[in-house]
Order: sequence, then structure tokens, then C-alpha cells
Amino acid sequence: MAEEEEKGYRWETEYERTWEAIQEDEKGSLQASVDDIISKAKKRKLLEKIKNVRLGMMRHLFLIIDMSEAMSDQDLKPTRLLSTLKLLEYFVEEYFDQNPISQLGIIITKNKRAEKVSELGGNPRRHITTLQSLADKVCHGEPSLQNSLELAHQTLRHMPGHASREVLVVMGSLTTCDPDNIISTISMLRDGNVRCSVIGLAAEVCVCKKLCKETHGSYSVILDECHFKDLLTQHVTPPPATASTESSLIRMGFPHHQLSADKEERPSMCMCHLDSKNSQGFSSTGYFCPQCKSKYCELPIECKACGLTLVSAPHLARSYHHLFPLDQFREIPTAQVGSNVLCFSCQTAVQELNVYICDNCERIYCLDCDLFIHETLHSCPGCASSRQTQQSAKMAGFS
Amino acid sequence: MTDNVKSQLIIILDTNPVWWGHKPSSHTKAQQKMTLTECLNSVMVFAHSHLMMNHSNKLAIIAAHSDQSVFLYPKNDPTVHVISEADEVTEGTDGKYELFNQVDKQIKEGIKNLIDNCMNGQLYPDSLVAGALAMALCHINKTERSHEEAGILSSRILVIKGSEDNTEQYMNLMNAVFTAQKQNVVIDACVLDNESGLLQQACDITGGIYLKIPQMKGLLQYLMWVFLPDPLERPKLTLPPKVQVDYRAACFCHRNLIDIGYVCSVCLSIFCAFSPICGTCQTTFKIFGPPKGVKKKSKKLG
Repeated sequence: MAEEEEKGYRWETEYERTWEAIQEDEKGSLQASVDDIISKAKKRKLLEKIKNVRLGMMRHLFLIIDMSEAMSDQDLKPTRLLSTLKLLEYFVEEYFDQNPISQLGIIITKNKRAEKVSELGGNPRRHITTLQSLADKVCHGEPSLQNSLELAHQTLRHMPGHASREVLVVMGSLTTCDPDNIISTISMLRDGNVRCSVIGLAAEVCVCKKLCKETHGSYSVILDECHFKDLLTQHVTPPPATASTESSLIRMGFPHHQLSADKEERPSMCMCHLDSKNSQGFSSTGYFCPQCKSKYCELPIECKACGLTLVSAPHLARSYHHLFPLDQFREIPTAQVGSNVLCFSCQTAVQELNVYICDNCERIYCLDCDLFIHETLHSCPGCASSRQTQQSAKMAGFS
Repeated sequence: MTDNVKSQLIIILDTNPVWWGHKPSSHTKAQQKMTLTECLNSVMVFAHSHLMMNHSNKLAIIAAHSDQSVFLYPKNDPTVHVISEADEVTEGTDGKYELFNQVDKQIKEGIKNLIDNCMNGQLYPDSLVAGALAMALCHINKTERSHEEAGILSSRILVIKGSEDNTEQYMNLMNAVFTAQKQNVVIDACVLDNESGLLQQACDITGGIYLKIPQMKGLLQYLMWVFLPDPLERPKLTLPPKVQVDYRAACFCHRNLIDIGYVCSVCLSIFCAFSPICGTCQTTFKIFGPPKGVKKKSKKLG
């Protein structure tokens, strides 16, 4: 027994002999190796991106949250549920930041039932309040994967053909209690062009794997909270569209924003807060639907009166970087460029071993800027400040 | 306490040679227009005031030129330092605070280099502000990261611009604006001459002030009164009212501003009329597109 304990489990061997990867440099410092490992880990995420794939830009995603007894486990701190909800709040915010014209809905499953707690919609704040209110609820009974998938499918199937239909399940339980044969549900989802992905909190489950494989989703099981966050972040970027996704031109309205100062207009109620009891939404400012002149206090939204999708130009612009991703920079050793290299964008001397060069404008960047440019900024400062290189997407017609 | 909140200001100065060199035609305008030297003086005084507000305030100045963007301050170029030290001996600082002296010198030096070098090559009437914004954001990212332990560093960007908008920069500019919004960086704009629709959007999205100054000669006063206070202090002041921002989209086919348009579901291009093939990504749409859409909508209503 003692011997077994020492050896540890087979699946822990990934962490065996990690010290062998670290090597001292001539001064006996480990810093270089450590930096190398850190930078490799940072870069890895970026390299995984695939280019030139048609993306499903208008996403309709249902989050299915397991609220069964298994979610009250304390292997994630403080409990699985609270940890999940906190990360999902972050996910919802990121999702709408990256996919401003997409929609999201939330379904919970417990006690062998599925319940839709938040309808499909484009308002991040509503979903976040829903998520926060879930924290007080008790985890109870067994989850039902089939019931929740059916519920999601009922709504998703009415979505237009150009929409990307998706389901993301966060599953803590290892079992599911289903009324019928789940295999038929899976094939129904596949035929309905719904992409299902599952994030498991415990261990791999065959039925989830089958579900993801059939519907072209991704299945992953978390290692720890950090990995959980990484996995959720992967679902923030729009997935490649399936072949059966239709393409169409969608009619959209670009409403004016009316300010109170310049017109003697009476204040009125906006359509989004009609049901609210307090004075919220009662003002003279707002966005007016160009088709029916209904007033809304925020965009993007689907007009409740005439069904027109109302957006503003920046909402569409926010998604363009998915379509025209920035090319990766070339990594070369700092010594090759010469001594005292300055990063073009932040004006600091490069300390790391490698610098990054944009192939288009041939400017040099440090690692921090390279990551910042690719993860957040999505446009190269060097290319943007020269006339020849300023537009990579020029040929695509964005001029 | 406010002691550990430092503020960092990045000034993006439009140094477009075409706009600054343009001689106004009418006599009345000639009186109003200021020269680049006058503008620089105002900016330098403004920069000093910002540095004086708090001992640990930070400053960076970027010049957005017709075909490049250059850091005027801080400049980490070793060759410049050697020259400035040599100058200091001959010129004498006259009791001036060393930091101010250094700032002034580097700005002047930078502008001089920029003007000397811009003569070869074609000149354009618009400046590449998006590139300068992207550089400013990288700089902010770096400094904020290195300041994590030393307290909060709140950053903002001020764009002083006279020349025209460059519509080709729309995507780069928007990327920069969304990044600024994410990083909680406020973008302010002080516009000298041409109204700028792009900067209006940038300021509105990031919560900054957009101001087209009515009197160009009074630049310094506007800078001091409107743009010097930190965004945290702004709610306490009476500042110029917000401008009405036009968020309407321009269609990709004719560049017209439209109220209702068609958006391609694949590449999100905007068109003012229905066409069976997307002009941007060449996707063919189903021909029965619009009538079906209308029918669907009416069904939904019923």
C-alpha cells in the first residue's frame, strides 16, 4: 500500500520530473527557463486559432447549468455551483463583448427536470442577474440531460437558418436521469444543426462525448478552476459554421440616438422597460426604430413592435476582427536584431530572449505587446500607422 | 485616498503637414488660424500642468503624422540623450524643473526630426490617428502592468486633431476604441477644425469628451479647463454638453448613411439594397430572401 501511495496515480504522471525541463544558464539562474515556459504557455493559446474558416457570426447559444446534488461538491471552492456561476458571469460578459449581435439563454436542470430561467436574448445584464440569483438556490436531485436538451431545441429550432445554433452544457454530475432514449435526442439535435458542447466538472462521461461528437461540438473535462476558465474562454469566439448553415441578407435598422437637449419632446416610456414598476426607462432620450419609431434605451435589440433587428454600426464593427484576424508575428531571437532593441509600440527596451516582427510592416514588438495586440487590440500599430500597410482587409472591400 | 491614484496622460498630436501648412484663403480666417509652433507651446504648457497636478503623474506624447506615428516623449533612443545632455551645458536650464526641460526638449527635437524627414514622399491631407491610438494603448498596457504594485494608474488619451478623417482607418480605429473601452481608458478629443465623426464615436464609446473648439487661438484655455481634470473629477464640473453622435452605418456599396439596411450573415457587410451575391465575401444568398423574411415576421406578429 505504502509503495502505491508513493507512486501516485497513473494520470498524475504528466507532472512527473518537471524539474528536468528546467535548465540553469551559465550564471546558475533558472529565470531564463522559467521565462521560456511562461512565454510558451502564453503563445500556445494564440497558435490554436484557425484561419480562413467561415464562422457562425450570429450565435444563438443556450447555457445548460447542472444544478443537481453533484454541484454542491466542494472540490471547486467554495462549491462547484458558486465557482461555476462566477466564471459564467465572466463568460456572459465576454460573450456579448465579442458577439454583440448574438443571443444567449440559460437553462438549469435539477431534480430530473429542466427549467428555462432566462429566455434567449441579447441583454447581458439580465442574464447576469439571473446567474446571480441562481447562487441562492439549492442543488437538488439528479440532472436530466435529455430534458434540458429538448427544451433548448424547442427554442433553437425556430431560429432562422443563418443563425448558428449552439448549446453549452456545464455538467457536474456523472449521471443523467432521462425519460426516453437520449440517442434519439442526439440525432434530432444533429439534424437540427445544433452544435452541443459539454464541459465536465468531474470525469469523462460516454454519453456526453457521443453528444459532442455527433453534433460537432467539443467535449472537455476541467483540471482545475484555471483550466475551467480557459475552456469557457474557448467558447467565446464564434465557432466555424456548419455546411448546412444558410447564408442570407438580414434586414437591420440603424436607429438615431435622440438627446433631450435639442428638442422640446415630451419624455416617454421606452419599450424595454414597459413592465418595470419604477420610473426606469422614462426619459426623453433613446434610440428610435427607423421603421416604427418605437423607443428603446439600449442597443442591440429586436424591435418589439415590428421585429426589425436594431443595431448600431460599432456593434457590427466589434465582430470584424473575428473575420479578419491579425497574422501571427514572426519570433526571432533578440540578439539577431542587435543590442538595445526598442519595442515599437511601448518604447521600452526589450528584456526577453525573443522579439516579434510583423511580416507586413516589419516593426519589432516585445512579448507583452505581441500578446496584447493579438488578444485584445487585433490590429498592428505599425501597420496602422503606415499608408501602404494600414489595411490588411482592403482587398476584401472594407475601404 | 487619492494619493495612490496616479494618472497617466497620452497626448496624440496631429502634425499633418498639409493641414498645418495650409494657408487660409480669407483674411478673417487667417487671424484665427494658429501655427504649429503656437499649438506646440500650448501643448507643452498643458503637459507641464498635467505633470504638476501630482508628483507621480505620467505623460507620453505621440505625433500622428501623414504617413507615420512617432513617440515624441518619452523617447528611449540613446542617441537623443547624448545630444540633449550636451545642449544642457551650453543652454543652461535657468532654474527650470529638469523634467519640464527634458519634456520640452524631446518634443521639439522630435517635431524637428519629423518635419525634416517628411519632405520626401507623398503628403496626404489626413493623419493616421488609429496607428497612434494603437501605440498609445500598447504603451498604457505596458506601464499599467509595471505599475500594478505601486497603486492604481488611471490612463486617458487626448487626441488633438485638425486634419480630416481617414475613412480607411475605420476598422483599425474601432479596434483601438473597443480595446480602450475594455481597458477602461478614456479617449478625449480636442478638434481644431474639421468635425470628426470617427472621433465622436470613439469619445462616446469610451466616455470621453469630444470638443470642437470654437476659437483656435484659445487652445490652451480649452485644454486647461476641459481636458486637464481627471475623469474621476469630471462629474463635479460643468463641462460642454455631449454632442449628438451619428451611429448610422455607411453601406459598403455606395458609402451612403442608411437607416435600414441589409447585413450579410457571413461577413456582416452592410448594403443599402438587396442583392443576390454579397459584394464582400461573394456568398450567394437564397433568392427568396426578402419576401420570406417579411412573411416570417408577419407570422411572428400574429
